[in-house]
Amino acid sequence: MTRQKVKMAYIENESSRKATYKKRKNGILKKANELATLCGVPVGVIIDSAYDLSPEVWPSREEMDKVVSQWQRLPVMDRTKKMLNQQSYLQQRISKETETCKKLTKENKELEMKEVMFDCLSGKTSPSRIEISDLRGCGNVIEQYLKNLKRRIEILSKNDGASSSSVHAAATTSAAMPIVEMGSSSTAFSDMIRQQQIQSNMNQTVRGLDLNQQQW
Amino acid sequence: MAKKSKGRQRITMAKMENESNLQVTFSKRRSGLFKKASELNTLCGADIAVIVFSPGGKVYSFGHPSVELVLNRFLNINQQPPNQNNNMRFNEVRPITIPTMNDYLTQVMNDLESAKKKNEELKKIRKNSKMPECWWEEPVEELDLAHAIEFKGLLEKLRKTVTDEASKHLQATFPLQNFYVGSSSGAPFLDGAYINPNLDPCVQRRMFNANAYYNQNMYSPNYPLPYGNNNYAGGFVPEYNLNYMQGFNQYQNQNQNLSFKEEGFSENERHQDGHPPHL
Repeated sequence: MTRQKVKMAYIENESSRKATYKKRKNGILKKANELATLCGVPVGVIIDSAYDLSPEVWPSREEMDKVVSQWQRLPVMDRTKKMLNQQSYLQQRISKETETCKKLTKENKELEMKEVMFDCLSGKTSPSRIEISDLRGCGNVIEQYLKNLKRRIEILSKNDGASSSSVHAAATTSAAMPIVEMGSSSTAFSDMIRQQQIQSNMNQTVRGLDLNQQQW
Repeated sequence: MAKKSKGRQRITMAKMENESNLQVTFSKRRSGLFKKASELNTLCGADIAVIVFSPGGKVYSFGHPSVELVLNRFLNINQQPPNQNNNMRFNEVRPITIPTMNDYLTQVMNDLESAKKKNEELKKIRKNSKMPECWWEEPVEELDLAHAIEFKGLLEKLRKTVTDEASKHLQATFPLQNFYVGSSSGAPFLDGAYINPNLDPCVQRRMFNANAYYNQNMYSPNYPLPYGNNNYAGGFVPEYNLNYMQGFNQYQNQNQNLSFKEEGFSENERHQDGHPPHL
């Protein structure tokens, strides 16, 4: 059974609050113990509440005294550098989480736009049906892709200088965008040309975009 | 391919052997401990102080109302440290900010969760809609030269179509003629440059700036378009709409300035703005 998500606010119900306090207090002390043991570091916790007469100290008064002495031996600067209270802690968390959320939202937008781009290419939709607000995002994704493509072409052209002429031949004959084995050897090109000629007879037209490679 | 981790494993309660794992564990668990401390204070109103020394000897602490205050209660020191009084007053004056911040954080966390879900969905969609004949959907690194060049050409074409669409909308929003309809002087346009000499230069400047603004951002303007607010989402894939941001808008208006420029807030407690994420 999944737990109910607890609202992060002061619990108004007194008995509920007291019960929660007891459970969570034990939980914190357990976690503090684990941290101290696993990492072999000094840890001290003080909890002062309306439910206990005197402040609860962990691990023990003696141990806490040791922690405090170590603490006091440090210059004030070092002590307060990483000191937090509720306000500063929450502010920190808000900034961090907002940042993460921003990045993720951005990534989501890019993924979305990538889908739009692919759908346009395969004819499932066309730019005229894209939301106005998405046009810019789509344009950006296209730009990014083109940048990568140019880089890829550069790399391949350098390695494959010999077959650059056959590249043009191959591109001209493609009327659709069928599957071909991946590979950059020159023999693959002639295979590709043959396959494309076969498949151009099949009805694999792509709607929406004009595929006449007139720029070649 | 390396074997994936077995997931969460039971851990022996003893000092960890691997140094770097220890560091990571320290970082994570310290963070978690502070979170629990913050929650205990929020939920139950208990005052708390946690002091932790790192493996490297640095000290981290969390405390409410402040580490020093709670520490002093333990130490039973009567003499108060200098900034003690400020903290007390600080809390009495504005106890309201912590609940507000908690609410804000909750909202951010909810948004984050929605974004994560959306992310998974989108990745799933990509995986499922991948068709074997669409070689261009493969990563660029796996394309051969011919395909890469062909793809480039097609993408450049698509880019042109997209920018054409964008400028079409631009035209629709700012058809220059409309601004000059009903001008009292009836003076003719100058060489088709659509400049009405009788128009106030300020108005002209404003319109020109608005045009530039729209050019820059290319987002749907908040005012009604001449041809109506066409929402193209209906014709396209509706599940791409991100509606979760609706709830966040109330926070945009309420707590836009998280620097809390209210009285009494000391300068050095101001952190960078935690503004809600903008799409």
